[in-house]
Amino acid sequence: MFKRAAVILGLLAAVLASSAFAQSAQEIVAATDKVRNAAQPFRSALTLTEYVAGQERAHSGFVLFSKEDGGGHFRNLLQYVEPPRDAGKRVLLDGRSFWFFDPASQASVRISAQQRLTGQAAIGDVLTVNLAADYSAAIAGIETIDDAGRQKRTCWHLELKAATDTAVYNRVEYWVEQGTFRPVKGKFYSDSGRLLKIIYFRNFTERLGAVRPAEAVIIDAVDSSLATIATFGDSRFQDVPDAWFQRDFLPRLQIR
Amino acid sequence: MRLGAWILLALAAPAWAGEDDDLGLLPQSSPTAVPRSAPTAATSRLFVENAATFSSVRGGLLVPAPPPFTPRWEERLLADARIEWPVATNAHMTYSGRLNLMVQDGLGFPNRGNVTNDLRELYASVEPRDRTYVDAGRINLKSGVALGFNPTDFFKARAVIDPLTSDPSALREDRLGSAMVRAQRVGEASSIMVAYAPKVTDPAAIASDPDRGFNPLWGRTNGTERWLVKASAQLGDGVNPEVLAFHENGRWKFGANIAESVGQKSVVYLEWSGGKRLGIADEAFAFGRATGTIPSGAPIPITQGGDERFRNQVAVGASYTNESKVTFNLEYHYNGAGFSRSDWGRWFSAGEGEPNSSPVARELWYVRAYASDRQEPIQRHTVFLRADWVDAFVPKLDLTGFVLADARDGSTLWQAEANYAKTDLWSFGVLAGGTTGGRRSNFGSLPRGGSVVVKATRYF
Repeated sequence: MFKRAAVILGLLAAVLASSAFAQSAQEIVAATDKVRNAAQPFRSALTLTEYVAGQERAHSGFVLFSKEDGGGHFRNLLQYVEPPRDAGKRVLLDGRSFWFFDPASQASVRISAQQRLTGQAAIGDVLTVNLAADYSAAIAGIETIDDAGRQKRTCWHLELKAATDTAVYNRVEYWVEQGTFRPVKGKFYSDSGRLLKIIYFRNFTERLGAVRPAEAVIIDAVDSSLATIATFGDSRFQDVPDAWFQRDFLPRLQIR
Repeated sequence: MRLGAWILLALAAPAWAGEDDDLGLLPQSSPTAVPRSAPTAATSRLFVENAATFSSVRGGLLVPAPPPFTPRWEERLLADARIEWPVATNAHMTYSGRLNLMVQDGLGFPNRGNVTNDLRELYASVEPRDRTYVDAGRINLKSGVALGFNPTDFFKARAVIDPLTSDPSALREDRLGSAMVRAQRVGEASSIMVAYAPKVTDPAAIASDPDRGFNPLWGRTNGTERWLVKASAQLGDGVNPEVLAFHENGRWKFGANIAESVGQKSVVYLEWSGGKRLGIADEAFAFGRATGTIPSGAPIPITQGGDERFRNQVAVGASYTNESKVTFNLEYHYNGAGFSRSDWGRWFSAGEGEPNSSPVARELWYVRAYASDRQEPIQRHTVFLRADWVDAFVPKLDLTGFVLADARDGSTLWQAEANYAKTDLWSFGVLAGGTTGGRRSNFGSLPRGGSVVVKATRYF
């Protein structure tokens, strides 16, 4: 009796496993990218709540304009709404072209990919990145892990290696729920192999025509007392002309 | 592959304990803030700042500086506002200004100098067609990509007043715009802009304007008629050069700038301008005579040859950001109108031993005041190094420092600043700066030795 059941279970597992690997790692990453990001141009409000040792410490608010280019990368334009000291500052994050504009000085300064990460606006860029465009993926395993709400999720554990020079991180570990392709968790590493950030995706709700994560919890792995909760809200499709993604447009951006 | 899948499935069985340990790092409370879609009315930045400055004065100068003397202390309370508000679907207004309440060593109280107002910008913008803009009013028009010196920033001259910092990259925030009409077309991957700034009044003399009160200082910003045409193009992969042509006092100047990423961590940039002009000392004396500061018959203590010829200005540099959030900028600045080694020799020889009340000392220091007023290095060769550390040691503590060195004599102007954003609304900062160098050096011959500024800022 037990022997028969074991054989049936084994066969079932074999079928499941073969179907799991029928999709390539790259296809899984592309599919989970589509869960996070809409293919059409959109705008969204983004709030970042920073925590130190579990206590709310600071807030930043942005309006994010985002659009996919032909190559699968997202072009982002952000304007700070909060905190008051930063209100009106703008950041253009477009492939290899990064510009920071401060209305107080009317100056546009070109920044490097690394310098972009020193500002909170980069979180908007990191959250909308299409990983399939910048990373080559491999399946490291199938694992059942807890999501941010401590619910068990059976996930593909993906190992991503930077494949382009626009990739922000050298290596990413990524857990994607089987069946739904929802991103559950990511771990992001530096060139030297140091774990920099851990991100949990949560609060999946209807947004921009599909069920997408409305929140990401970003843990600073270097100083684990620091965490940021990124919350998307008021997302809507909006035409974002290509002309917006150049330094001379930055002073002209008007949010209405 | 199938065997591998079997093994992986077996491993997948229960929870992945090591991974689930990360859940302990999640904040337990939910954010109290909710996303705001956009400012519905005005975009504004308002703050009140209190800044106390203490300065030391260098004695034994080779060329004694005439009055006004460097104040040893200053206490300033300022209210600063920048507001953009829509007035129609395709039009908005912009106001930027600062109200200062100031008491200062030697200024006296009460007098007009205790309350001053800087009207930096006030202009209307209209977008009659998609991405075609017309602006009119007082506008701060900025150009350039370098941090320490911007040869293509043609409207910087005479615009900075009463700065609280010596950091060249921060001076742009505290400067007056010019009255102008500006039209711009932003294309799919290009932009062209034309600006016309009329002469509103005669050029004002160079002075510290301590009793300017609410005077908008048009004589500083609109003492001549100026035109600027600039165009930029997106040439692919982020390459976005800009070319400029500037016309003032019957002379053209031309310029170009470009900035490009190199790898993940660096940006390199180059900025150039050139045009026919006098050396800076000859230009200063001509301006001094024209504005009545220097009597027309007064002898001129030094000259750079008095020849008007094509002179270049260049800023070339690179930035590098490391994984600890420190950004370094290293730049070289060249000013073809600036002082050469022999010009410095003449400057010191002419003024050495003169009393500070002598016309010679006054005129020699006038040249330096003129260069400073025009935001132009008086020296010919400069090396500029700046470091900016975001979240240094603790979150929200930013440390910034720079050294600006005269490449001829090694003398320096330096500054170090710490700013801590205690909350979303309160910031505290301390800034120390000074000069180093021998008595016969550029920065070592300045009367201000060092200064410390302590400030607190409340945002609204």
